[in-house]
Amino acid sequence: MRGVVEPSPPGELRVRVPLGMLDRGAALLTEHGGRFVTLLVAERPERSLIAVFAARGELVCLRAVLDREARAFPSLSLVLPAALWAERELFERERIEPLGHPALEPILRPDADEIAPWVQGDEAFVLPYGPIRSGVFEAIQFVIDTAGEDVLALRTRPFFKYRGLEQRFEGASPQQGACIAERVAGIASVAHGLAYAHAVERALAIEPPERARWWRVVYAELERIANHLDVAVREAEAAALVVGQARMAILKEDVLRLQARLTGSRFARGMVIPGGVRAEGAVALAALSAEFDRLERQLRRDRRLLLRTTSFTDRLIGSGALDRPTVEAFGGVGPVARGSGISTDARFERPYGAYDRVGFEVITRDDGDAMARVEVRFGEIAESLHLLRQAIDRLARHDGPLWVELPSVAGAALGWAEAPQGELVYWVELDGDQIARTRIASPSLRNWLLFAESFRGDVLTDFAFIEYSFGLTPAGADR
Amino acid sequence: MLEWIVRGLGAGRVTTRYPRAPEDAPAGFRGSIALLDAGDPPIGLEDICPTGAIRISDGRVRLDRGRCVLCGACVERAPERFAFVARYETAARSRAALVAGGAEDGDVPALRRTLAQRVGALRRSIHVRHVDAGSDGAEEWEIAALQNPYYDVGRLGIFFTAAPRHADVLLVSGGVTPPMRAPLERAFEVMGEPRAVIAAGTDACSGGLAGDGRVAGGVAEVLPVDVFVPGSPPSPIALLHGLLLAVGILEESP
Repeated sequence: MRGVVEPSPPGELRVRVPLGMLDRGAALLTEHGGRFVTLLVAERPERSLIAVFAARGELVCLRAVLDREARAFPSLSLVLPAALWAERELFERERIEPLGHPALEPILRPDADEIAPWVQGDEAFVLPYGPIRSGVFEAIQFVIDTAGEDVLALRTRPFFKYRGLEQRFEGASPQQGACIAERVAGIASVAHGLAYAHAVERALAIEPPERARWWRVVYAELERIANHLDVAVREAEAAALVVGQARMAILKEDVLRLQARLTGSRFARGMVIPGGVRAEGAVALAALSAEFDRLERQLRRDRRLLLRTTSFTDRLIGSGALDRPTVEAFGGVGPVARGSGISTDARFERPYGAYDRVGFEVITRDDGDAMARVEVRFGEIAESLHLLRQAIDRLARHDGPLWVELPSVAGAALGWAEAPQGELVYWVELDGDQIARTRIASPSLRNWLLFAESFRGDVLTDFAFIEYSFGLTPAGADR
Repeated sequence: MLEWIVRGLGAGRVTTRYPRAPEDAPAGFRGSIALLDAGDPPIGLEDICPTGAIRISDGRVRLDRGRCVLCGACVERAPERFAFVARYETAARSRAALVAGGAEDGDVPALRRTLAQRVGALRRSIHVRHVDAGSDGAEEWEIAALQNPYYDVGRLGIFFTAAPRHADVLLVSGGVTPPMRAPLERAFEVMGEPRAVIAAGTDACSGGLAGDGRVAGGVAEVLPVDVFVPGSPPSPIALLHGLLLAVGILEESP
């Protein structure tokens, strides 16, 4: 196979390949440990199909030019199950057919009532769960084939919330784009703001000032803690552990309130902008440090108690187990991958912002079950607090500007950030002072592909525990 | 289990007294936008807003909070006209009441007293059914927060229910995507009378930022909405404010 290496921004490796060779290029990269990220159609420098892979500290882009007649390409899904949904979405949005795709059905316009069983048998029946579910949930549908208790087969149906937000970026200014990115997945506003800002900054070849990078660490790590605590709240609720749920909910609320005092928004919206951050955090650094101490003290006791409560841990241990080869085949990221022993974290593999100047550990567990994913999250909260302290320390010692002006030039690049759900990647094309195109590869969509794989001998009553342990957001997946 | 009981008691009381006592937002909280000066707008003022919340009519500025996603572009570009207000109580009983520049906001302390009396006089509990019709996910966190010990809406007789047939209030987030339209309509149809519908969040009020014409312009295009709670997302107190307004509508019903 012959590819031509093209000039690329640091951290990205763009290789031009013929369209008909895309599948072989993908297979080759996968053999060498590459992980499929996404497939997207770019318009700059020319209309191309780009397959993105994460490999050895770089994002490798296999770029195939799409000429006027190009209507199809060899499907990657045959060797890479990770591409199953990405190819269906691409076909529906761009009308480019992945030839040989095993199930090329429409995906973007799900019908809640259109449900056919997969499993045939006297005892088996099909149970639709969602898109409206009992409780406060985002809209998504699961179709469960069951014989009463055992889950025989499970299908996840996303895109009930497909809002077309990627198109909304087109024609926006880079600053307006930040506002849109923050609203793609509200619970990961900072991560989306960051991945977007990184893409813009890389496309324009600018660096945000040092102080901005440290503040970005503060907002992003607080967001991670809130998300991981949210998983703990839901797991405790599922286990009917009333006080445990209340304690975790109090701590999560404390973090959101701290974000509100710092930024004016409980989700830290409006702070990350391309080129830097809009403002200093509004809480004095010493007070912030005291808040971290308080949070850590409270959390240490509650966490110890929670992980010692057998009515809690019994429901998690062994539930929804995923082995490492399955996670790799489906391109799993974030705490889901780390719970199955895969040490992947964009902050560590492809450090952005200030993450190359801090010490932290990538937490992994080998068991691959719901318990492992919950333990990974608790471990990560401790690491986030450690990162927050390092950021506060730097902010206290150095002063400086918060943002740089953006030059008005054209460019296109990938940007990434480790969201609480996992690796988040943005592709942004800029045309002077306007966004021309944006594509988003969300961790939620990729990990949801794995959700069905995690049911191996699990029963219906395990469902909630397994789902919450994934900690995903339909809004982020659907965009 | 004993340890949990001790832990629970040791935390003390954290619950807000709202609406019996006011709950103040922290300084700098981006709760809403105030229109400081509606007169003599310069040409192009409305272009500042990415969601079309700023309109000019009859030479006066109109600010539609039902369209505002609180991005702050207007505050940054025209600080003499627009400012963030650190307030939680943003809900209103009509879409028109969210538009600033016409009649200004009512007497907030008086309104809160009415809400407190209403809660005191509540003859029965209120059951709320939540439906996500295409939110960004932040609304769900804020709605779920209403059940945490800080807000604990159960103390007011407000409960979340799984069954729409038992629900008095339908709390809808998101601007209504096409696949959610039919499920949303069905959830409403099976509710008994009297019932109230709340549009929770700017997307639910107007469609908000959502995209390429796929999403409806808010819940009101699909269902009769009784209470609008703008915000991106609305804070838990804003949602509680909206719920209490909905309780009033139910109480007024014959």
